[in-house]
Amino acid sequence: MFAKESFLTVEPVRGKVHAAEAVDRTTFDTAFVAALERELSMAYRLSGYLLADSAEAQDAVQEASVRAWRGWKDLREREKFHSWFSQILVNVCRTRLRQRSKRRTLDVEDVDLESPDPFRAALARDAVGRALSSLSIELRMVVVLRYWGELSLAEIADRLRIPIGTVKSRHHAALQVLRRRIQPVEGGPM
Amino acid sequence: MSDFDLDDEIDIEMDRRLTALARNTREPALPDAIADLPWTVQLAPPRTSPLSYLRSFGGFGRAATSVVRLGLTLALAGSFLLLVGNIRASGSAAAIAEPPSTPRPSGATAAPFVPEVVLVPTSGVVDDVMAGFVAGAVRSAESDGAAAVIIELDTLGGSESAMQDIVKSLNAKVPTIVWVGPAGAKAASAGTFITLSSNLAYMAPSTNIGAASPVAAGGADIAATYGQTEADKVMQDAIAAIRSIAEDRHPDAVAWAITTVQSAQSYSAEQALSAHGINGIASSIDDVLNQAEGQTVTTSTGTVVVHVKGAPIVTINEDVVQSFLHTLDDPNIAFILLVLGVLLIGVEFFHPTLLMGLVGAMALALSFYGSGSLPLNVLGVVLVVLGIGMIVLEPNLPSHGILTIGGIAVFVVGAVAFYGSPGPYLPMVAVAWPIVGLMTAAAAVYGLIIVGSLLRLRRQPLPVGAGLVGYTQVVGQVGEVRSDLSPLGTVYVGRESWTARTRDGGVLGRDTKVRVVGQEGLTLVVEKVE
Repeated sequence: MFAKESFLTVEPVRGKVHAAEAVDRTTFDTAFVAALERELSMAYRLSGYLLADSAEAQDAVQEASVRAWRGWKDLREREKFHSWFSQILVNVCRTRLRQRSKRRTLDVEDVDLESPDPFRAALARDAVGRALSSLSIELRMVVVLRYWGELSLAEIADRLRIPIGTVKSRHHAALQVLRRRIQPVEGGPM
Repeated sequence: MSDFDLDDEIDIEMDRRLTALARNTREPALPDAIADLPWTVQLAPPRTSPLSYLRSFGGFGRAATSVVRLGLTLALAGSFLLLVGNIRASGSAAAIAEPPSTPRPSGATAAPFVPEVVLVPTSGVVDDVMAGFVAGAVRSAESDGAAAVIIELDTLGGSESAMQDIVKSLNAKVPTIVWVGPAGAKAASAGTFITLSSNLAYMAPSTNIGAASPVAAGGADIAATYGQTEADKVMQDAIAAIRSIAEDRHPDAVAWAITTVQSAQSYSAEQALSAHGINGIASSIDDVLNQAEGQTVTTSTGTVVVHVKGAPIVTINEDVVQSFLHTLDDPNIAFILLVLGVLLIGVEFFHPTLLMGLVGAMALALSFYGSGSLPLNVLGVVLVVLGIGMIVLEPNLPSHGILTIGGIAVFVVGAVAFYGSPGPYLPMVAVAWPIVGLMTAAAAVYGLIIVGSLLRLRRQPLPVGAGLVGYTQVVGQVGEVRSDLSPLGTVYVGRESWTARTRDGGVLGRDTKVRVVGQEGLTLVVEKVE
C-alpha cells in the first residue's frame, strides 16, 4: 500500500498481528514482529490494570512497542525479549501514572459513566478491585505484576529494577492497605 | 503457591482474594480491546546519522551536536578559503606561465616588425590580485619583446606587500610606464609608490597623487592602534621606501616625494610635474606614447631609448577569477559579506540547518580575504559583530525587543566606523551610506520577524490543558516533530508533547513542521506542512 522500497512498509494493522502477512521483510523485522506479537495480550492486560484505563493502556502498549522497535537493533540477547519488553512497558506505565498524578486528571471514577471502561468495570465488581485504585503507584505496580502478571518475586524485582527485599515489603504493605480499605465496607452495613 | 512469605492470616486472605480477582478478570478485556489497538510499527531500522548518537545524550548531546556541526561548517569554510587562495595563486601563475595570445605578426605581415605596447588597465584596491595581474602582464610583455608596458592606474591605495610586489615588477626588462588616468583618477597612498617606481610616470589632467590619509603628521591612527613606537617605525619605513624609489627614478623630486608620506600631502598633476615628480601630463594613452617617444630610461637590463610612437596597443585584462577576487576588496562588498557571514552563522548556531552556516562561513571567509587590503577598524568590526549577535540572541534571551533595538544601534555605529584611517599605504575608504542603510534595514527586518513571531506565540490560545482530553483543540494546529515519526513518534503541539503518527504512514524527521489532522485516543494523526 505504502510500499516505499525494500524495508519501509508501514501498514496499520487491525486485530491480531500476523507477522507473515504484515511483513515479508527481512528476518530482522519479522523476528521483531513475531516477538512482539507474543507479548501484546499480556502487555495490554498488565497496563490495563496498572492504568485502569483501556485507552491509555493501548497508548502505553503502543509507546512501549515503539520504544522496543527503536531499541531492537541494540538488543543483544533476543531470547530475553520478554523480560526486556515488560521492563519497557512497566516503565512506560509508571511514567504515565506519575504524569497523571502531576497533571491532576479527572478522577478515574468520574469519567465516562455511560460506557464503562472494561478494566474499570472488571475492577469495580469486586471490593478488592475497587480498593486497588487507592494504592500508591509503586504498591499498585507490585500487586498488578504479582496477580495479573503472575510473576514471581524475582521477576517483579527484575521488571521494576528494585531489590527483592523491596518487592517483599511493598507487597506486604499493599496487602495491608487493601485490607484496611475493604474492612470498613465489609464489616459494617452496606 | 508463591515465593512470597505470607506471615499473616490477613495477608493470606488478601492474597487469595487478589488471585481470584485476577483470574476472574483475565478474560473479558482481551480480544476486542486488543483489536482496537492502533499499533503500527515501522519496519525499518531507524535512520542513523553520525550525529544521532550524540543526540541520545539529551541536552548535553544536543549541545555537542551543535558544536560538532559548527566545527564541520568551519572546517568546510576553511577548505573553501584554501581553495580560493589556490585559485588565486594558480590564477596569477597561469598569467605568468601563459602570456595572453598577443597578436604576433604572422608570416604574411612579418616584414616590418613593430613591437607592440602592452596596456594594463587596473583599478580598485592594490591587492595581491592586482600584483599577480601586473606581474603576469609585465612577464608576458618581456617574453614578447614588447616596446613598453603601460599601467593605467586609479587607486586609493592598498596593502604594502602587494605594492612592493608591483614596484618589483615595474623594474623590468622592458620600459615601464604608469599613467594615472583618466581624468579624475587618483594614485593615492600605495598608488603613489607605484607611480613613482615606473620608468616614466604620466598623469592625466585633474588627477591626484599623494597620501590619502588626512592625518596631518601621518600615522596618528597607527599610533592609536599599535603605539607610538610602532607608528614611528611604519612611518620611517615608508619614508625610506619612497626615498629610495624617488632617488632611483626621479632624483630631482626626492624631497617632494617624501612630503607625500611624511606630511600626507596630496598634489595635482600640475604640482607633481613642476616638482619633477612625474614626466608629464598626458590626457590619453596616445598622448603618453607621443611624450614617451625618444626618452632614455634605465631598465633592469640597462639603458634603452623608448620607441613607442604609433606602436600597436595590446590590452591585457584580468581573467574572470582575478576580477572576481579583486571585487572582494571593494570596501562595501567586504562589509556586506562580513555582515551576511556573521548573521548566517549566528542563525545557524541557534537554528541549525548546516546550509546557512556553510554559506555564512563562506561569506565570512571571502570577507576576510577581501578586507586584507583594507584598513579595517577593529572597534568597528567588533561593534558590527556585537550588534548582529544581539539581534540573533533576541529569541534566546527574550528582552521584549530591547536586544534587537540595541543591536541595531550598535550595528549602525560599527558600520560607520567599520574602516579606520589608513597608514601610508592603505586606502582611505568607508562603507557607503546606502549600504549601511540597506544592511541595517536587513538586520532590522530579521529582528522584527523574530520579535513578531515571539509576540504571536505569546498571544496564542492556551494549549490543550494538562491532562484534559480536549481532542478538537489540537486538530488543525501546527507543531513540530520531536522524535522521528517512523511513522510513530512524538510531536510538540500547543506546548505539549504528543504521541503521533503520520497519516500516510510516511517517515518524518525531527523538526519537521506538521499539522494535526486527526486524533486516535492520545495519538495524534499528523501530516507534513508543505
